[in-house]
Amino acid sequence: MIYKEIGKKIQRAREELGLSQEELASRLGYTQAALSNYELGKRRLYLANIEQIARELNRPLSYFLEDSAVRAHAKQEEPQDETIAEIIRLLSELPATERKYLLEYIQWRRDRLR
Amino acid sequence: MIGFDLSEEQLRYQKMARAFAEKEMKPYAAELDRRQDTVFDWAIVRRFAKANLLGLGVPQEYGGLGVDHLTGAVVTEELGAACMGMSEPAGGTWLATCCLTLVGNKDQKRRYLPLVCGENAALAGLAVTEPEAGSDMAAIRTRATKKGDHYILNGTKAFITNAGLAGFYIVFATTDPRKRHGGLNAFIVDGDAKGLTLGKVEEMMGLRASQTGELIFDNVEVPVANLLGVENTGFLIAMQTLDMSRPCMGASAVGVARSAFEVALVYARERKQYGRPIIRNQAIAFMLADMATEIETARLLTWKASWLIDQGMDSTMASSMCKVFATEMAEKVCSGAIQILGGQGYTRNSPVEKYYRDVKACQIYEGTNQIQRIIISSML
Repeated sequence: MIYKEIGKKIQRAREELGLSQEELASRLGYTQAALSNYELGKRRLYLANIEQIARELNRPLSYFLEDSAVRAHAKQEEPQDETIAEIIRLLSELPATERKYLLEYIQWRRDRLR
Repeated sequence: MIGFDLSEEQLRYQKMARAFAEKEMKPYAAELDRRQDTVFDWAIVRRFAKANLLGLGVPQEYGGLGVDHLTGAVVTEELGAACMGMSEPAGGTWLATCCLTLVGNKDQKRRYLPLVCGENAALAGLAVTEPEAGSDMAAIRTRATKKGDHYILNGTKAFITNAGLAGFYIVFATTDPRKRHGGLNAFIVDGDAKGLTLGKVEEMMGLRASQTGELIFDNVEVPVANLLGVENTGFLIAMQTLDMSRPCMGASAVGVARSAFEVALVYARERKQYGRPIIRNQAIAFMLADMATEIETARLLTWKASWLIDQGMDSTMASSMCKVFATEMAEKVCSGAIQILGGQGYTRNSPVEKYYRDVKACQIYEGTNQIQRIIISSML
């Protein structure tokens, strides 16, 4: 599963640099068949292989290892600005009726600014 | 070309493992299974170490036997056939050394691999699971914070084979939980590191000769030199390690199933009802036929997955298939064996109830069988 995804990224990065399989393979010291197997996800890629390929294709290692879903998720969970974080923290300490009152106040402020 | 003959070397290892299992494991299996306390029996380690079996897959240059994965599977089947519980301390060690051999640099290998080799060998362990992070590795919360030339580890690992016993552990921790998989890292942690303590030792249904428990990390300092691979590549390291270790577990399950089958076969030939051996009833004979067929099928699958690994090919799908098939087959065969033995099978008069309890664990650890099916289905 992993190797196929990494393999596709190798192929994409290689093509973006306008390199043929033969060209990249010779730079890496692999046979063309071996590189083809890596790109197809048929051969096991060791971390050292991926590092070498990343260097040759001028990409960070994370480009090959992180899938887009993971990156999106990480972004989603990035901390909001400090004011919002502080408001959330303080709100959670208040009783429910107070929170409701504050919500109404925030809605009133928002409507005024519109 | 396809060939199913083992090489001379593999046959030699099979013979050695069978002799070891007969002499050093079988005589102690029942007694170790029945212990009610949780004091680990170090004699198991001494026996394995004497045969250098803890260093089974460790390259010879570091003092191990350096066998390939197919030979490893052949050996593991023999050990599993004798006692899966006693195989566990070795199995936990192999997981760690498999990981270290795969991604460790020369210095890390030189410092740690020899520790599990030879007569004075120590155990090792792989620590991935946490109370709140089982199948979902990205939920790992054990935190690694870089401070100068060290990482500081804090957190709790659960259900760790060889917890509290190992000379070193490979520990998975995150540098940033928000990065999920992308924040995972693998570290080599010394067993006697300051701040590392053994938590609860589990009282288990089976595998009772082994020790599984919690590892608690309280500001454990790990030198940067003990980070495996490159920072934040822990997920790949864990996946590769588990892919490569699964066939071994499949082989162990095949061994258990084989033993249960052999007990059932002997019993079915000897036990007489209505004036003839019960094997003369097709109902029983067909059960045995199915058992033999499925054991053979599972063995071939474990061999194929091991062969793929040895060829440097991606074994992900075959590894998962062999884990699912062999471990579920083994439970079924053990259950069938209990059925054939009837009342005797349900008691401790025969070893089959122990086989059943031991082998159930295989469907749970090193990636549940449900996770294996996710892997397989995603590759269809």
